[in-house]
Amino acid sequence: MRAASLVVLVAIVLPLVLGQFWAYQLGLYALYAAAAVGLGLCWGQAGFLPLGQALFFGLAAYLSGLTFIAFANVPIVAVLLIPLFALVSALLAYVIGLLVFRRPGESGAYFSMIALALSLLGFQIATSWNSVTGGFNGLKGIPGLPGLDDISDVYYVSATALLVVLALAGWLFNAPIGVLWRALAQNERRLQLFGFDTNQLKSVAFSVSGLMAGVGGAIYAPQQGIVTPQVVGFGLSADLVIWAAVGGRGSLLGPVIGTLLVGSLTSQLRDSVPFWEVLMAVFFIVIVLVFPRGVAGLAEPLFRTIEGRRHNKPSVAAPGDPAARPPAKLALHDVSVRIGEVTILDQLSVDFDQAGIFCVIGPNGAGKTSMFNAVSGELAAASGRIAFGGSDVIGLPPNRVGGLGVARKLQIPSVFPDLTISDNLAIALWSSRATKLQLLNPRLRRWKSPMLDELQSRYAFLATGARKAAELSHGEQQILELAMALLTEPRVLLLDEPCAGLSPEETAAVMDLVRWAAKRLGGAIIIIEHDMSLVKELAEIVYVLHNGALLAKGSVVAIQADPKVRAVYVGGEK
Amino acid sequence: MDPLIVTQAINLLYAVSTLAVLALGLAVIFGLLGVLNIAHGEFIMIGAYCAYLIQSWNLPYLVAVTLTLAICGLLGWLVEWIIIRPLYRRPFDTLVATWGLSLLLRKGAEAMFGLGYRSVAIPIPGRVALLGTEYPIYRLVLIALSLAVVGGLVIWYGKSRTGSRIRAMVSNPELAQAQGISVRRLAAGTFIVGTCLAGLGGVMVAPLAPVQPFMGLDYVLRAFFALIVGGLGSASGLLSGSAVIGGFDSVISAATSATNGYFAVLVLAILFLWLRPRGIVARS
Amino acid sequence: MSPPRLVFENVTGGYGSTTIVRELSGAARAGEVLCVLGRNGVGKSTLMKLLFGYLPCLSGRVLLDDKPIHGLDPSARHRLGMTYCPQERPVFDDLPVRDNLTLMRESRRLAPFRRYFDRFPILERRLGQHAGTLSGGEKKILSFVRGVAEDQPIVLLDEPSEGVQWESILHMEAFIAEKKAAGTAFVVVEQNLSFAERIADRYLVMDQGRAMLEGSPATIDRGQILAHLHV
Repeated sequence: MRAASLVVLVAIVLPLVLGQFWAYQLGLYALYAAAAVGLGLCWGQAGFLPLGQALFFGLAAYLSGLTFIAFANVPIVAVLLIPLFALVSALLAYVIGLLVFRRPGESGAYFSMIALALSLLGFQIATSWNSVTGGFNGLKGIPGLPGLDDISDVYYVSATALLVVLALAGWLFNAPIGVLWRALAQNERRLQLFGFDTNQLKSVAFSVSGLMAGVGGAIYAPQQGIVTPQVVGFGLSADLVIWAAVGGRGSLLGPVIGTLLVGSLTSQLRDSVPFWEVLMAVFFIVIVLVFPRGVAGLAEPLFRTIEGRRHNKPSVAAPGDPAARPPAKLALHDVSVRIGEVTILDQLSVDFDQAGIFCVIGPNGAGKTSMFNAVSGELAAASGRIAFGGSDVIGLPPNRVGGLGVARKLQIPSVFPDLTISDNLAIALWSSRATKLQLLNPRLRRWKSPMLDELQSRYAFLATGARKAAELSHGEQQILELAMALLTEPRVLLLDEPCAGLSPEETAAVMDLVRWAAKRLGGAIIIIEHDMSLVKELAEIVYVLHNGALLAKGSVVAIQADPKVRAVYVGGEK
Repeated sequence: MDPLIVTQAINLLYAVSTLAVLALGLAVIFGLLGVLNIAHGEFIMIGAYCAYLIQSWNLPYLVAVTLTLAICGLLGWLVEWIIIRPLYRRPFDTLVATWGLSLLLRKGAEAMFGLGYRSVAIPIPGRVALLGTEYPIYRLVLIALSLAVVGGLVIWYGKSRTGSRIRAMVSNPELAQAQGISVRRLAAGTFIVGTCLAGLGGVMVAPLAPVQPFMGLDYVLRAFFALIVGGLGSASGLLSGSAVIGGFDSVISAATSATNGYFAVLVLAILFLWLRPRGIVARS
Repeated sequence: MSPPRLVFENVTGGYGSTTIVRELSGAARAGEVLCVLGRNGVGKSTLMKLLFGYLPCLSGRVLLDDKPIHGLDPSARHRLGMTYCPQERPVFDDLPVRDNLTLMRESRRLAPFRRYFDRFPILERRLGQHAGTLSGGEKKILSFVRGVAEDQPIVLLDEPSEGVQWESILHMEAFIAEKKAAGTAFVVVEQNLSFAERIADRYLVMDQGRAMLEGSPATIDRGQILAHLHV
């Protein structure tokens, strides 16, 4: 709160300190800064880069300009409609997001290029649709905001708009949805497996950024009196990216600092300093490659001293799982998966019991992890059925399968490295319990459940909530990921080599946890494992896979005696 | 034959073949190395400005090719070494870094030449009578050259040893290394070929396009969409993508307006992203 | 004993933060086969990747003719005389069989492969076909021929017999014997004990990333090896 009050104070005092000319400049750049904050939200939080952000700024500007002209005699109507213009931009962004974010886990290149193309298209439309937009010369003669005569009044309107945008951004960064965005940028696949629709999360982020740009654009029109195609096009889009980057895209105030500093400086120095723009470009590349936290990163220690110590707020009890889902049986029937000419799973039929600890073994390439991936919906099956708790889950996307109560622990420890341990665990708690609307409520970050208490008492490091997950050792990360899977209180638990790379003590700890989980959850725990000593200790039933099909099933002793299994493991003359 | 139809047909062929040659460099870099070089359009721009410079120095047009190859080659080598190589496994960071590069090259061109449009005189002016109509000679030359360049590269890639080694490196880099291929050097060489091809394309289209610092944006977007629609990593993908995107753009722009043509291209790209995300010719 | 060409001392390593192989030591001597045995997942392929430079050693050293080679990438190790035939993706699927064989050779002539074609006629029949259309065992044969025909002093083979018919396995044994007589050092990872018994001069049996048994066939009891191979 102290930092927030300081920001407001600075905003109030600035024009008095800097004088009329700078008040006007800052008034203009504060509107651009609103768009930059939105861009920073997409790029710095959710990890994708909209290269055409100006489209949303300019769209709202044109709408606002046209409305102010139309209601020149009753300007108050236009003023009241300002939020609507921002909402139109938000809606357009949401629709574009839904259309483009279809393929999970792609690098974001497609999105960035399409966003860029849309901005160029917007510029073309604005330039050629003379009758509406005034063409290349723009929409002129837009009346100003009513009742404002002084230049500093103009500044205060912009500053207020920017502060509203910052308040919205700050709230969202702090809310569970902000945590989910950051998690998405770090490990999208893992987030999907927890049941979150990452495409929708990205679309929401994009929509919010469109809203923020729209706020800036809607005020721009009456303030400047003219709207030209430049505010929709590539130049402003490119500038917004530079300002957000140089200021520090991951932080709340970074994009603002970048816009106000670099933006206003550029307009002054562009003509006097030779190669200023080239210098800015070099600066951008250096920042992006070497110092991504930007100027705000430099000022971070300062912010921290201002903010003071964080107060530990009391925790909140998470609701019990409302669906109270009982354990469910998992069974595969004749599932075939082919990639190109290679058959990965060959009419695989496996029937797992509803409860117990089962191990899946088999040589390399037998299809063990592929079987898990098919169940999760990450591998498209050519044919077959996967029955889980009475429904056929084949063909469902990974987040739906995760939402149905299938929890996975992946082969390589897969947590959210840059999030704190408590955020990591909270994500698991939200996974099956939080409604979409609840994700906007910061209280959810303090959720606890009885199972979390039990896990934290077994493993003390899980309670050191403020540490980042990346600081944990390899073994601790394995346990963290396992704990997260357990916290979702799944109906079936799929573990892929949970003890890979662990020391003997760590291995014993994990085995302990697995046995405890089996009793506590009461469902099936299916483990892919190579280490036979672990299999002998844990498995009630062993399944042997070979060449994508089930070779044998039975107790450890039974499959040891099975000649087919022996042939696969020991080889022989054929 | 109706002269109007002949003209439109050749225009269509021109649009498709030009797009193919301009997308070729990106097909090499994005399709083979998996690197989205957003600055691809700026290498085309460099080629165009080289043509302009050569002409303003009253040298023969072909010298522009040499100058472009030198500049794009050197720049390509530097860029691969400093920006691309450290980021090979981080496609998003590569996107941002090459975007920064494209910014730098654009601003550099702006500083050197200003924002205004430069024009490059057509090296082979005049029209020729063809199938009942008259058509500009240079455009026909370009069609032939584009098909020759694309065809030549495809044949070379398929038949030569280096081409085989590049294919090996692309499909199975571990095995390529095991057999002694220095993947680092080969990848760098491939990247440089990509940037040089872009520059060459710029020299070719300079007389027919307004030469200005922002010219590359249009080209990189169209090249990118042609590759998404056609499919990455194969010659047939490049050609089919160019045919679809170049074709639709040309036909709709001629029939209605350039803006509608652009819009159609975008709609197509998004449609393909939905229905056939790996493109018309999907490589496994 | 013949001189050791490739020596690894207390090598420990894995992928990223996951340690798979711990403190393994061994040597490949000229004219001998060191056979690395174990169930899958114990780290045999990881060991090969450490020896050939795909993964860095967290500790320990690898010496080629008494010179340390950490820091050298796989293509550099190839140039120093090491050949590697990986277990997974052993051939270039998109290239024809002919190109798979001659890719890095000085000429494209196939005459040097005559002896191999006589024993493995399937390769000659499919020279023009893409290697991706071969069966798993045929790909292994192709990979084996390519590797052995490189005529390098040190050859690393990762499960060369996987999916291969017994008659062809016997031909592989013959070629390996021929090369041994000429002084080539082999490190062969195998899961097929019958094949291993025919070619091995020394065993290194692994389990849980460590060496469980080491020695010559004379000193190691077959039953002990079986215990570590079978489930």
